[in-house]
Amino acid sequence: MCDERQSVFGKAIQALSRISDELWLDPSEKGLALRSVNSCRSAYGCVLFSPVFFQHYQWSTSVKMNDTDIILNLNCRLGMKSILPIFRCLNSLEKNVEKCKIFTRSDKCKVVIQFFCRHGIKKIHNVCFQESQPLQVIFQKNMCANTLVIQPRVLAEAVVLFTSSQEEVTLAVTPLKVCIKSSNEESTDLTNSVYSEMFVGPDEFDFFQVGIDTEITFCFKELKGVLIFSEAIHAPIAIHFDFPGKPMALSIDDMLLEANFILATLADEPSRASSPQTLCLSQKQKRSEPIHSNSKAGKNAASKVPEYISRKVELKRLYSDETPMNTSTLENCGSPLMKRANKDLTEVPESSGDISEVPESSVSDTEEVPGSPCLRKLREDTGT
Amino acid sequence: MKFRAKIVDTACLNHFTRVSNMIAKLAKTCTLRISPDKLNFVLSDKVANGGVSMWCELEQENFFSEFQMEGVSAENNEIYLELTSENLSRALKTAQNARALKIKLTNKHFPCLTISIELLSMSSSSRVVTHDIPVKVIPRKLWTDLQEPTVPDADVSIYLPVLKTMKSVVEKMKNISSHLIIEANLNGELNLKIETELVCVTTHFKDLGNPPLASENASQDRNSEQMAEVHIDIRKLLQFLAGQQVNPTKATCTDEKRHCS
Repeated sequence: MCDERQSVFGKAIQALSRISDELWLDPSEKGLALRSVNSCRSAYGCVLFSPVFFQHYQWSTSVKMNDTDIILNLNCRLGMKSILPIFRCLNSLEKNVEKCKIFTRSDKCKVVIQFFCRHGIKKIHNVCFQESQPLQVIFQKNMCANTLVIQPRVLAEAVVLFTSSQEEVTLAVTPLKVCIKSSNEESTDLTNSVYSEMFVGPDEFDFFQVGIDTEITFCFKELKGVLIFSEAIHAPIAIHFDFPGKPMALSIDDMLLEANFILATLADEPSRASSPQTLCLSQKQKRSEPIHSNSKAGKNAASKVPEYISRKVELKRLYSDETPMNTSTLENCGSPLMKRANKDLTEVPESSGDISEVPESSVSDTEEVPGSPCLRKLREDTGT
Repeated sequence: MKFRAKIVDTACLNHFTRVSNMIAKLAKTCTLRISPDKLNFVLSDKVANGGVSMWCELEQENFFSEFQMEGVSAENNEIYLELTSENLSRALKTAQNARALKIKLTNKHFPCLTISIELLSMSSSSRVVTHDIPVKVIPRKLWTDLQEPTVPDADVSIYLPVLKTMKSVVEKMKNISSHLIIEANLNGELNLKIETELVCVTTHFKDLGNPPLASENASQDRNSEQMAEVHIDIRKLLQFLAGQQVNPTKATCTDEKRHCS
């Protein structure tokens, strides 16, 4: 990787760092994917760098023969705290680093990042990773009723209106105009906060398609991360969304990379205000057989096709299966959308089995009703 | 109570923005007083030991192309509002390339100052940005505290040197001592002095003019070489100097036995 590419790579990591503290490195024949999911499962980011982005890209699977002939990939999860500082000072990276080489040593569970700098200086960073199946969200962008494509500059002018303490913003669209405005929870002190809104006409967008009039509310911090990234690569941002509650996608498509950020939006109906519909993530076994160890394996056959859950189903958050669900992890979630879900979930019994089962059974009942795409998390390990 | 005003001129808008930035740097909350011919920003920090109070007056004709107000009542045709100064300056910051800016007093569940900005944009449709800044209406009984301060009779009045120079001098002095002594005389000389156990630093400014004194009696008795001095808290002075974005035509420093203004 050379100069500006390193900076773009670094900016991608920075954008993903706004989503969560963990980064998955997922190389494949399509390219190197960097993924990140936040702990509340309300935001997901994936930046796929095509092999052409790199001066030299080499990927190989390690084929392990075992009972089921599963091809195992590099399942590499890095702590953001380890990798972000390496790519933090992008200005100095651009000036000093001539070449950057990244490779993995799976025998030692390390990712090695080498910077070949000027004056013959070579900096080597060894970052340990944990084996962990990357998560992937399947989201049908083309099925969204509303699509807007906007230049980052215009969006930047809107973002400037809001203070950095603003947690959520609302995007309201009609075929005639688009409004972005600050959104305040009931608990905030309204007498002290400034409400701001900006109207933008349809002709300011590169592409404008509004199928349904709608207002969606989502996390501001994540939007800012995506915006900074798109400004770095000078590419327009495409916003795909539908009705409130259904996740929205922010995507950036360039010749060399494809970035998708899927964010949960706040559900509209007052009865469901306390449990916003969130993304459920599944591990898509793109290259392998369905997992047999999972007792819910019966549904796996359908996992390759995106499944739809009807809006009537109350979706609770699905948790990382590595740890049993406990409400204390809920409290730690930074996203404000999730804080309201907390109130609901404290009444739910502690056993994680109950939680994850609710949507499963409803999935089997409802056939592909259009609604928010929901992907189930399937367990990889055998300890079900 | 009603208030509507509009600014269309870019230079006026920039000036107004700079005034608001200056206020935001000086204090967290400020009072805006609206009267038929002027707009005042008032800060009164009633701290016992050296608080900063400020009175800023803007002739509305110089800024606004349209200005309408109706005060609390016919006899008291004024409006006093309390707001967070940073909110106003941040809202005005987004009005950099505005075609027009409108300020209105509105009531959206609670009183607000609504700033409505029409931005120039590349395409044909213009962008409209609105900010609702929450304000508190100050009741009439508290109005007496917020009146224009009278500049007391001075022992010495002097024009200040270029504020930027003064600011850099005072900033360096801040590291050494927390109190600054300002000395000035009627000969156009100003000294900024700090004294500690170990060191004493003085910066001299010469050939600054003196404004004509209000009361002739006091000055006649005074030797023009004699210095009048006041001790002030350096940080407060620095706060004032740092906030200065409006380039003044003149700034005077008036020494009087108890106050320095």
